[in-house]
Amino acid sequence: MSYAFFPGCSLEGTAWDFLKSTKAVARKLGIKMPEIEDWICCGSTPAHQSDPLLSLALPAKNLLAAKGETVAVCCAACYSRLKTANHEISSDQLLRKRVADVVGQDYDGQTPVAHFLEILVNDFGVGKIAEAVTKPLKGLKVVSYYGCLLSRPPGVTKFDDPENPMLMDRVLKAAGAEVIDWPHKTECCGAGYGITDVSIVKQLSREILGMAKAAGADAIATACPLCQLNLDLRQGAIEEAAGEQFDLPVFYFTQLLGLALGVERKALGLRSMIVSPKELLDSRGIGL
Amino acid sequence: MTNNTNSEDRPRISVSSKRFMDFAEEVNERSHANLMACLQCKKCTSGCPVAGRADLRAHEMVRMVQLGQRAQVLQSRMIWECTSCQTCATRCPQGVSIAAMNDTLRMMSREAETTFAETTQPVFNDIFLRSIRRRGRVYELGLMAAYKFRTMRLLEDVDKAPTMLIKRKLKLLPKNVRGRAERKRIFARARKAREQT
Repeated sequence: MSYAFFPGCSLEGTAWDFLKSTKAVARKLGIKMPEIEDWICCGSTPAHQSDPLLSLALPAKNLLAAKGETVAVCCAACYSRLKTANHEISSDQLLRKRVADVVGQDYDGQTPVAHFLEILVNDFGVGKIAEAVTKPLKGLKVVSYYGCLLSRPPGVTKFDDPENPMLMDRVLKAAGAEVIDWPHKTECCGAGYGITDVSIVKQLSREILGMAKAAGADAIATACPLCQLNLDLRQGAIEEAAGEQFDLPVFYFTQLLGLALGVERKALGLRSMIVSPKELLDSRGIGL
Repeated sequence: MTNNTNSEDRPRISVSSKRFMDFAEEVNERSHANLMACLQCKKCTSGCPVAGRADLRAHEMVRMVQLGQRAQVLQSRMIWECTSCQTCATRCPQGVSIAAMNDTLRMMSREAETTFAETTQPVFNDIFLRSIRRRGRVYELGLMAAYKFRTMRLLEDVDKAPTMLIKRKLKLLPKNVRGRAERKRIFARARKAREQT
């Protein structure tokens, strides 16, 4: 199994642990994901808020660089932008020509894009993941938090059920965790407003942390660098303002899967987590 | 015999209605949001994460665009509070893409220079895009510094910086990707195309 990997800017910075744990998991499972050479930023929110053509041209340039191979993505925002470019370019010939004029090369919108969760469940298979698990996450109660952009809009991403996605739940179940059903799987955490209007993030992330706690979770699993950062970095301030304790470590699903596959804690970048998972993992005998 | 439904008896709304339609049509054409299909069912607002705090709610925005309330819409805070979470577009029974409409409204509000005064999102967007053009990838530390100086929000969140550095979440040095000249051409061609339309 081989994919052209598009890590995206966050995985080189704030989400370096997402990158590290993804690589560790891929190595364990024998999934090859060499990086696309000289990949550039997908344009993210600033591009689609500012310039529609540029917001398609930047993904198109990266997708061309994949040379027809299926592109593997971890960041939900990158995933959304690459998928949107494919959707729009492949369904509008006139737009395809306009994007080609900007990029300087024609792109047909046909290079497949897959999130790492889709690769794990749809290509690799949960049965095979369960077989590869050596240290099941016994007794760990976790909620899967997908955020907005993996499953929405469904016509563009075709990821999973937009209201009740199950891909991460299935991966974590295969890893031996007790995955708790909860209603906030796809609620918004406030996304990129962590910089320009943090009051939005604090308000929305509080709802998510509160619901995870009420559902009885020990920890939250995420698949998006912004979700992880908002729920983890802001948790202390949210607790202070709300006058309640959440104590919820916010993992990337790849970190939890890595632990179940027998990867050491150190090799999964757990030290980058601000709400420390140490006590929780020690008490469940995970990753020792 | 008189006919009460004769067109001459109806109120004359031709001049102003044309102006109304201009705005709605422009937004629709640029966003492909299908916004005239809105039935005001409010399903968008029911699921909107910022509906409780915004000055305008999603269904109200659509209605105001339909009715040509250009100034109110383009000055609204809602444009810059929308998190682009796509819940509205996902749930709309009429296939109205409100998130796409909002992107267009953001651009139009900047073009008209009537952007809601307290938002710093446009400044952030510009710095972010400049970073991509220059380096190819976003350099988070540089981005934050430039943003803080441009907005003079120097002390906001500075307490987070040491944590971010200790956790290695902020890289001290940028990474530059090859192909800057080509990127500059891409940005220039996109800009030119935007100005032509």
